[in-house]
Amino acid sequence: MKKLLMGLSVTACLMTNTAIAEDADAAAFRDGFLAGNVTWEDVQARAKTEGTVNLYYWGGSDPINIWMDQIVAPDLAKLGVTLNPVRITGTKDAIDLVLAEMGSGKGLGEGSVDAIWLNGENFATLKRQNALFGAFADKVPNSGNIEWNADDPRALLNLRDFGVETGNAEMPWSGEQYVCAVNTNRLDRANAPSTFAELQSYLEANPGKFTYVKPPHYIGNTFVQAAVYAHNPDGTGAEPFQQSISEVGAEELARLITPGLEYLEALEPHLLGAQSGNARYAEDNGALDGLFLNGEIDIACKFGLYAVATGLSNGTYPEGAEAIVFPEGNMIKNKNYLAIPANAPNPAASLVMTNYMSSVEAQVTKLKFTGMPPGVDPWKLSEADVAALTEASPGLIGVTQADLDANTAPDTNATLVDVIEATWLEYIERDSSDGIDVIVARAVENLAQ
Amino acid sequence: MSTPKTTELARHRKERMWMWVQLMPVLAVLSVLFGGALILAVMQSLGFAPWFGVNTFPDLSYFNALWGNWSFWQSLALTLYYAIVSTVIALVMGILLALALIRMFPGKSLYKYLYKLPLMIPYTVGIALAVIMLGNGGMISRISAFVGLIGDPSEFPQILKTHYGWGIIAVYVWKQTPFVTLTIYAVLLGVGRETEEAAAILGANKRQIFFQVTLPQILPGIVSSTLIIFAFNIGAFEAPFILGGGFPDTLPVVAWRYFNDADYTLQLQGMAVVVSIAVIASVILYSYLAFYRRYERRIGRN
Repeated sequence: MKKLLMGLSVTACLMTNTAIAEDADAAAFRDGFLAGNVTWEDVQARAKTEGTVNLYYWGGSDPINIWMDQIVAPDLAKLGVTLNPVRITGTKDAIDLVLAEMGSGKGLGEGSVDAIWLNGENFATLKRQNALFGAFADKVPNSGNIEWNADDPRALLNLRDFGVETGNAEMPWSGEQYVCAVNTNRLDRANAPSTFAELQSYLEANPGKFTYVKPPHYIGNTFVQAAVYAHNPDGTGAEPFQQSISEVGAEELARLITPGLEYLEALEPHLLGAQSGNARYAEDNGALDGLFLNGEIDIACKFGLYAVATGLSNGTYPEGAEAIVFPEGNMIKNKNYLAIPANAPNPAASLVMTNYMSSVEAQVTKLKFTGMPPGVDPWKLSEADVAALTEASPGLIGVTQADLDANTAPDTNATLVDVIEATWLEYIERDSSDGIDVIVARAVENLAQ
Repeated sequence: MSTPKTTELARHRKERMWMWVQLMPVLAVLSVLFGGALILAVMQSLGFAPWFGVNTFPDLSYFNALWGNWSFWQSLALTLYYAIVSTVIALVMGILLALALIRMFPGKSLYKYLYKLPLMIPYTVGIALAVIMLGNGGMISRISAFVGLIGDPSEFPQILKTHYGWGIIAVYVWKQTPFVTLTIYAVLLGVGRETEEAAAILGANKRQIFFQVTLPQILPGIVSSTLIIFAFNIGAFEAPFILGGGFPDTLPVVAWRYFNDADYTLQLQGMAVVVSIAVIASVILYSYLAFYRRYERRIGRN
């Protein structure tokens, strides 16, 4: 009985706290800044009094952590802001924290997350929950390094994140492209597949020498998306996948993705481990690298424009690894961003930090340290800046920039990603006997709840 | 006349008070932290999560969806298989080791330290050791490939990441055998060897001594240690996650997948999994305990 009462009181507390308190001073600062009434000097001055910025980011990469500690922290200290890098194992943890704190009534100036490195579904979640600071990204001084003009098709990656309009509520930070690498010591470069059909025939001859990361991990989702684009029954590739689920409709989506998923189902018996019973999918990026390095698979696909060069230099890729053009015309490209949540405790310091991150200087050191491609747009930069970026780049191995540019495809709309992911889990992992149209309809219905 | 009685009563009351003071900290932690979390978990699994904009309480649809799916029962079978097999193996090895340890043999004092080593090493380290040694990218497979026994490391017979769960069972047994041994050894030291010697003098053979004298004596140790390790094995996440064979996963891994999905409303489905694990584990542990109590009463122990 006592337990029940306590539980009820806990619940009552949670329910009554729906009204969100805000630090009035911080709220006035936000409104002034977003309306363009606050000068950058004022922002910097306020940032110094705030003193700290809590940046939440995926901490699974040592080069990024080292760059944060050795370059970003000292540079921000010069601006009077102490960087508190919070390394998390999954970006979703930061999203959960923001939503939980907002749920318990902590508004601007009172939360604990100042900025998050994210993209895709995580951004879509924050946007859907109204948990973003506002349209700041085109208002900081270094926003001139980024293309905001919607008339320029090249601005698409800055204005839409997995098909979701960014509303300038996140700052482009890095660009990425989905690139597959082959181990040329095991697989003759001339035999490297460039289409999904060639991949299948390669695997029929060499069973088990490929696997991809398991959805719902985004690296796996992206492989599934590429397969879906390539098998689009209309031959229009990525085009129909730029709309949201309410625009496409469940029936049409099912028709569009059926050939791609049937291909993946047919591919499963040729994947790693399938010969001894159970196809094994890599759990994450690290697991995939391990399989590739160890020669268990000959082809590895993940996000990483410069992944081969950085992987070779730090020993996480096998000798002889080279990037390939695969799948032709459907190498998905996207950007990742820095977003400021609605309840950031130090909004001004967070603005100073995102502004610093989009400077050419920071982009050059980031590229040099981590091999993460720049998020700024080269055509907006001076020649000297472009040269500095080119010089810092680890370089492409096996493919040229022209190859990559010629085979680029945009990401799938975030609302479709959820459905395609749920369909993969049901149709391929659980071997559901239902048709794809039934599974898609059910997934759409579940997600609409 | 009444004075001694009053002081007696006062002392009694004081002792009572003191007892509650002693009980309070643990009681508070249990009811607030554990009880509160448990109630919240049950409520969430029944559709109560207004902070995600979901509130259909009370709503059994999460349990219906879960239990109506064949994959849940596969996951449950797998979870029980890993938990039971590892518990039984650890128990048998633990008893044998404890019986050996009460005898005298050269190097006993060193051995008594050695066998406890896994107790001090965390599970994750044990899992890492399994990956490093037994995996297809591990030492043994690489050395075999290096000396030419197999063409490349992927041809090494797969020990980890299969649904037989050799890796998971190996880690649990490695870690839990010393724990069982420690418990049973302590019981054995307590009862002494006199009863065994008496049975031997009366003409019992080794088998009879073990089953009719030693086993009933160490039974309390067996029950308490297996209860603890079984409860751990059924709810453990990291070993099946890292060493398991993928879909179908064990129930804790299934719950984690729901919690880790970018679609946060799936957390309610995850809570239904967590609550199911709790219910199943409690039913099994409670029946085990009840069965043992009945046995104890039958042999006249209380």
